[in-house]
Amino acid sequence: MSTEAQIASFRQTWQNLRAEIGKVMVGNDAIIEGTLTAILAGGHVLLEGVPGLGKTLLVRTLSEVLELSFNRIQFTPDLMPADILGTNFVVETPDGRREFQFQRGPIFAHIILADEINRATPKTQSAMLEAMQEKQVTAGGELRKLVEPFFVLGTQNPIDQEGTYPLPEAQLDRFFFKLLVGYPSAGELTEVLNRTTENVKVKPGKVLDGPSLIELQSLVRQVPVASHVKDYAVRLVLATHPKTETAAPIASQFLRFGSSPRGGQTLILAGKVRALTQGRFNVSFDDIQAVAAAALRHRLILNFEAEAEGITTDHIIAQVLKDVPKNAEAVRA
Amino acid sequence: MSELQLIETALRRAAQRRRWERAWHGLGRGLLAGAVLWMLALAAFKLFPVPGWLLPAAGVAGVTLALAGLVAGGWRKFSLAEAARWIDDRKHFEERLSTALEVSASSATGEWKNLLLTDAARHAQAVDPRQLLPFGLPLVMRWALLALALSAGLGFVPERRSQAHLRKQQETANIRDAGKHLAELTRQMLVERPPTLAPTEKAMTDTAELGDKFTKATLGRSEAMRDLASLTDKLGEQAKELVQNPALKPLEKAARESGNSGGASPDELQKQIATLQKNLGNGAATADKLDELQKNLQKLQQQASKMPGKDSPAGAAAREQMAQSLGDLARQAKEMGASLPGLEEAISALQANQTDLFLKDLDLAMSDLEKLKDMAKAMQQLQQQAAKLGKDLAEQLKNGQAQAAQQTLQKMLEQLKAGELSREQLQKLMDEVSKAVEPGSQYGKVGEHLKDASKNLQQGQKPDASQNLAAAAKELDKLMQQMQDAQSLQATLDALARAQMAIAMNKSWGECQAGPQGQGKGRGWGHGGKPGSGVGTWAEEDGWTYFNDDGIRWDNSNVQRPDLDPRGHTDRPDDVRDDLVPTKVRGQMSPGGSMPSITLKGVSIKGTSNVKFEEAATAAQTEAQNALNQDQVPRAYQNAVRDYFDDLKK
Repeated sequence: MSTEAQIASFRQTWQNLRAEIGKVMVGNDAIIEGTLTAILAGGHVLLEGVPGLGKTLLVRTLSEVLELSFNRIQFTPDLMPADILGTNFVVETPDGRREFQFQRGPIFAHIILADEINRATPKTQSAMLEAMQEKQVTAGGELRKLVEPFFVLGTQNPIDQEGTYPLPEAQLDRFFFKLLVGYPSAGELTEVLNRTTENVKVKPGKVLDGPSLIELQSLVRQVPVASHVKDYAVRLVLATHPKTETAAPIASQFLRFGSSPRGGQTLILAGKVRALTQGRFNVSFDDIQAVAAAALRHRLILNFEAEAEGITTDHIIAQVLKDVPKNAEAVRA
Repeated sequence: MSELQLIETALRRAAQRRRWERAWHGLGRGLLAGAVLWMLALAAFKLFPVPGWLLPAAGVAGVTLALAGLVAGGWRKFSLAEAARWIDDRKHFEERLSTALEVSASSATGEWKNLLLTDAARHAQAVDPRQLLPFGLPLVMRWALLALALSAGLGFVPERRSQAHLRKQQETANIRDAGKHLAELTRQMLVERPPTLAPTEKAMTDTAELGDKFTKATLGRSEAMRDLASLTDKLGEQAKELVQNPALKPLEKAARESGNSGGASPDELQKQIATLQKNLGNGAATADKLDELQKNLQKLQQQASKMPGKDSPAGAAAREQMAQSLGDLARQAKEMGASLPGLEEAISALQANQTDLFLKDLDLAMSDLEKLKDMAKAMQQLQQQAAKLGKDLAEQLKNGQAQAAQQTLQKMLEQLKAGELSREQLQKLMDEVSKAVEPGSQYGKVGEHLKDASKNLQQGQKPDASQNLAAAAKELDKLMQQMQDAQSLQATLDALARAQMAIAMNKSWGECQAGPQGQGKGRGWGHGGKPGSGVGTWAEEDGWTYFNDDGIRWDNSNVQRPDLDPRGHTDRPDDVRDDLVPTKVRGQMSPGGSMPSITLKGVSIKGTSNVKFEEAATAAQTEAQNALNQDQVPRAYQNAVRDYFDDLKK
């Protein structure tokens, strides 16, 4: 298949996925597109919102439209790492010998719904670190590869809620996007009520299987990015580094830590997906700007002043986007 | 054309257009900066006492800024990559052109490259540089034009500088003007009437140099006044020394009593009279007769202008009568020997009924008659002067006719040298010389020389007598030269006084016009070395040695005296304490006694003067000098006033 055909196929698949998910989900277009973008770029997504806004439903629907294995882990305070990764059991073999056999945990699936991830203790949360980054787990002294493609779609309640444990920065950084799920509008809410209070069951169709998804992910990575667009992404990331020469004034004032290099990777990869979905063969400044908030908001650590003044990372990102010019001299190393 | 070429062509055109656009904007920015600079300079010039070169400098800087803006704007060339990024931004091409250009330049091959180029070429076709960058007046250019318009408007706003500055400017201009005229006038005098004495020449050269100094250097009013006063004092002293010679007194007196042409010798006078007589005809045409003739002609001229038309019977009669009257006048003129060709032609024109020509000829005749009248008057004056000339040496010396006396002495010398004198002639000569001894004694050694000559003649020693007569003539010549130098000095002093007046009153040289006596000739000494008209204003004891009494020309009403309040006005309130009320102390009008003065009891008026001492002193001296010149100060105290200011100088 030619590249042009692959691109056409990509756009078609995108539209089909949107359509099938739309059968179940009402509204939340930005959340759906963000989630699909992360999946097509091969990244994990953290969905944050108060309970009942459809986070879990989105992930479940996603698992239904993709022909991929799906496991749901409900994070609770008493959840242990072994409950996620798996554990060794002593089993008796037919010849009467006893041996350890590894019982795989729920992490061994293509799509993992880490529901209410911030309700688990940091110890348990950290069990996800290796899996999310390396796509492998170490259990019982043995390294075990996870299946490809592998996605973690975490949901969390706002961190100031009762019984929550903030995710460590290292884990947050491993999420490709952090998407904020908001309240539905009146129309959307009416539609939600209609769909959920009547005897109408909608079953979304399968759109994409694993190998095809991997092909699309590969296609995404081929999208060319001009040097000045890359440079813009770099300058955006550097502008979030407080107290540096390249820092935006607002970053120096309200941030404790800026984005890691993963933020830059995310900007470019997500930009590539967006370019393809819009029928372009190159990444533009607009692509970078469109994905900047989702890519960077969980990678910026606010300082006390920002929290005291109610400044959010979204405010800071918006200001950084205003401060950093699109066309400028490339940042020297 | 390949897709890449298509893209590059579009980019190149856009880059070129953008370069022009940048140059245009640069011109606008430069123009704005220049216009603002010019406007500020103009505003500063209107409001503050800034130097005059500021405006041209600001103008040059403004134009330079505009040109610099144009050059700076159009200096930089735009690369294709820059043009691509710029078009992507302006046309919202989502970085299609810039990415395609970059990918095409890289070594990468494959479908992605083709896809990018195709997509970019499709978009590049829609690029029209003229539409993208339409030439128009950018905002900055509009502001620049507004600033220029404001500057133009500001040009019509009158200057609002301080009076002090304007006065100072005028002072400087007047000082330069006075210096220029002073130098020119003095140099002209040096050329036309070169002084014989070295000190006089030096004094006049100094005056010319002072004039040059005023012209070239930027001097303050007080400095200029000081220099002028100093030179005037010097020249005054010199003139005083010059005229201390009592031998010059009779010459001066004689000069005052005679007219302008009084300096002419008897021969010269006779020559002039003969020339005028020749022009006037048989000599019957006296000024009175010619005046009467002119009056009659004027009457006829008036009648001619009111004459009725030639066709009417009354007109014909009037013409006939007019012709007759004119004929009578022509006859009278002929009888007087006056030639009036215009009158004859007028009669002919009248007879030929050429009214216009007739009136024109009548005007011509009137003009001729006027000239003849002037000549007759001049001749009359010359004849009067000739009549006044002494008949012999004694009379000439008595009358102060030095030049005539010198000529007479020369004639005597020639007669003696010729040795062809008869006894009677010798006796006559001897009598004439001895008679001249007494009047000659007024002329210093002239009397002595004449006395010796008379003695030698009586003893028959003709050579010695000749020598004595030659010495007397030489002495007379020396006296005349001294007088001429004194005259030059006086003219220079007049010029200095005029310069002082111009600078003191802050007026131009022309505004301080000398009175009817005329500059340099005012008090009287024309080129002939004798006083001219206006000699009656001379003070007997001063002669030409000091400032004259033409103080009437000094208008002090406009003089700004920073050190004095207007007369009769003081800052002191009327209800001052008793001990502060001024008490008038009556002075005595006796030389050497106390002068009238006003004194204040109690404390003095406190405060700090913001006027320089020198300026105040110079101004006070000028005023005192004016007062002295106008005889406002009693003579008995004049020296005291002068001494006071001399002490101040020290």
